[in-house]
Amino acid sequence: MQLSRPSVRPSRIALHAIMILLVVWSVTPFVWTAQTSIKFTRDVASKTPVLWGYETTANAYRNFWLDSDDLNMWGVLAFILVVAAAATALGLIGRRARHGWPWFLGATAVICVALWRFPRIWEANDEYDFLVNSVVVTILTMVISLSIGLLAGYGLARYTGISGAVILIVALGFRALPRTAFVLPYFFGAKEIDDWLTSTGVGSWNFPLIDFPGVDTLQILDTRLAIVLALVAVNQPFTIWMLRSFFIEVPKEMEEAAMMDGATRLQAFRKVIIPIMWPAIIATGLFTMLLAYNEYLFVRVLAPTEWTLPVAIVSLTGGESSRTITEAAAASVSITLPIVIVIILFQKHLVRGLGAGAVKG
Amino acid sequence: MSTVTLKNLVKDYPNGFRAITDLSLHLDDGEFLVLVGPSGCGKSTALRMIAGLEDITSGDLYVGDRRLNDVAPKDRDMAMVFQNYALYPQMTVAENIAFPLKLRRVPKAERTAQVRHAAEILELTEQLDKKPAHLSGGQRQRVAMGRAIVRHPALFLMDEPLSNLDAKLRVQMRADIAGIQRELGVTTFYVTHDQVEAMTMGDRVAVIKDGVLQQVDTPESIYGSPDNVFVAAFIGSPSMNLFEASLTGNDERGGGYSLVLGDHRLAVPAEVVADRPALASYEGRPVVVGIRPEHLEDASVAPDHPDDQRLDATVDVREALGAETLVHFNLNAQSVDSGDPDALDELRDTGRCTARFSASSPARVGDRIRVNVDGRRLHFFDRQTHLAIRDRAHGAEQ
Ligand SMILES: Nc1ncnc2c1ncn2[C@@H]1O[C@H](COP(=O)(O)OP(=O)(O)OP(=O)(O)O)[C@@H](O)[C@H]1O
Ligand SMILES: [Mg+2]
Repeated sequence: MQLSRPSVRPSRIALHAIMILLVVWSVTPFVWTAQTSIKFTRDVASKTPVLWGYETTANAYRNFWLDSDDLNMWGVLAFILVVAAAATALGLIGRRARHGWPWFLGATAVICVALWRFPRIWEANDEYDFLVNSVVVTILTMVISLSIGLLAGYGLARYTGISGAVILIVALGFRALPRTAFVLPYFFGAKEIDDWLTSTGVGSWNFPLIDFPGVDTLQILDTRLAIVLALVAVNQPFTIWMLRSFFIEVPKEMEEAAMMDGATRLQAFRKVIIPIMWPAIIATGLFTMLLAYNEYLFVRVLAPTEWTLPVAIVSLTGGESSRTITEAAAASVSITLPIVIVIILFQKHLVRGLGAGAVKG
Repeated sequence: MSTVTLKNLVKDYPNGFRAITDLSLHLDDGEFLVLVGPSGCGKSTALRMIAGLEDITSGDLYVGDRRLNDVAPKDRDMAMVFQNYALYPQMTVAENIAFPLKLRRVPKAERTAQVRHAAEILELTEQLDKKPAHLSGGQRQRVAMGRAIVRHPALFLMDEPLSNLDAKLRVQMRADIAGIQRELGVTTFYVTHDQVEAMTMGDRVAVIKDGVLQQVDTPESIYGSPDNVFVAAFIGSPSMNLFEASLTGNDERGGGYSLVLGDHRLAVPAEVVADRPALASYEGRPVVVGIRPEHLEDASVAPDHPDDQRLDATVDVREALGAETLVHFNLNAQSVDSGDPDALDELRDTGRCTARFSASSPARVGDRIRVNVDGRRLHFFDRQTHLAIRDRAHGAEQ
């Protein structure tokens, strides 16, 4: 008897063809952008696209990030160190290394100091401030969203009364409304508060101890706070629903066992439930991160000058100022890379978090 | 002293369902009490009320003389073994077992020592560094036990801890758990739907049905003199045969009673009547009669048996189990529904009777056989109330 090789069925070929097509379809724009970012303007502007054999240059990147024409080697070195520190820290959280916390805190400190000192070492452009804004907004949004989402998701998963269902449905409703429906109310709300702050004089109070750099008056509009508050608000339905669905998967017996073992409800939550939920938290956190990092509309409306990177990039494409398209491409590639690194580091958890039943014992 | 007292415990769930009605029980220090009943009868609810995981609607719970109704689970000093073990998946076996000690801030050295000790008792020493996901069902069960025994609690609570194990392991763990409990002397409240577990493990057995306690007694008494039809049918495997019958006087034969059971007539031995004074008042009235399969025997195996305690039957089904043979036949009598929701429907109204013959019985399917009935082991119940007919007190209630 002869063992026949598994036959390649036409349906399989078709499936692969479709998948390849999808990959090409989604990767091509990025490849195109990446190419554009390292070309000279003349090649980009030529009528027949120059697909290969073109001369490459880092000018676009330099123009976007740096204030001077020559690369400062110390700055580059410092930058590489910071990226390494950030990657290590994230990697440690990703692997949930048991003794990773000192490393993580150390790396965080390095990154903070670097963010603060960089512009001076590196003669950076204004865009650098937008990067800092992006990082601050993203991290704050993520931390606040997750904190609220974890508590609310847990509560709503365990409490099955009518009011719980109402909260969930209302949340879903808000999620279904278009973003644009929220922008103006938030804007006017913030404006009302600012007007009130100004009219009562509270806005110009001087807080000697809390001297926020660059903040002279107390206000909401045009601050990172405004962006964070708005993003947390629009993102909350998603985090609550997503985390709740994971909490439901965790058997109730887990926290009951912990409580029988002598834990308070909060201890049971912290020491037993949260560690089980880790993949779910990472998955939800990544989605929140992407949302905050990529947000355009809210930033543009609520913070006319405190831009984050996406707004800065759009400004390059012609609307706001007329710098070259290569620079916009360089900016796009630069802001995509950190996300790619994070996703690669957390990929394992992302898959586990999204896969059903991952949290079961 | 960890005696446990439940006084008129009631549990109403928020949807209005009353899961436990007036449950009163007392556990002596070091006693192993098994709460047994069909599924959905409220066993877990009762256990969880003791644990503090469900509120007590009314009634009182005492351990020693401390009232625990409003004490948080963590302060009740009880350890619980869950049906699905509820091991913490992110912790190793050692960390799982050490968790209760850690929460109590036991110093690390002592913690390690205690975990080692528990692991030795439970033969888990090799597994200490593994995660629960990499353990077999039996090992997981042991880890759950380990987590309970490290802290020397006042009370063990176990909710069907063996029901996820295969049959062979279950027999082994049954003995192990009972042994460990005896060694540690910790008062134990054990819940199961398996009457074999109840009979083999418990110092006493409490039978519950639909949230109402039916009988609490030693396994022997529960088996030997069940208080009602439900307990009679629930305890013992195969179940007791229960039929409607009527009791008639035997004037022509000089006193005593006979039982008319379908087309059959059985003499009731005088000592049985003497033991149950209330039986006299049932003369001429219908009763429920029960006889356990093990108290029926093939007449060809045991020929020395009074002729008036025999039944004629035709074998319908024969199951040879090796050490014994189960034989099913039909008595043309009305079977009685014991109210056990887990009982097999097909056995209900057919008048089917199960007997447990010695393996040497030659009975084959289709054979006409004579069946010896051990008349002294007959059980009598009131037809309406399903309560056992024993002394005058019960009869007077009618
Ligand atoms: N949260 C609840 N709300 C309403 N009814 C409930 C609730 N939990 C349990 N019940 C009902 O209470 C009854 C007893 O449930 P319980 O879990 O105590 O039964 P059990 O004897 O442990 O059953 P099993 O052998 O299947 O574990 C069941 O009829 C069940 O449907
Ligand atoms: Mg149960």
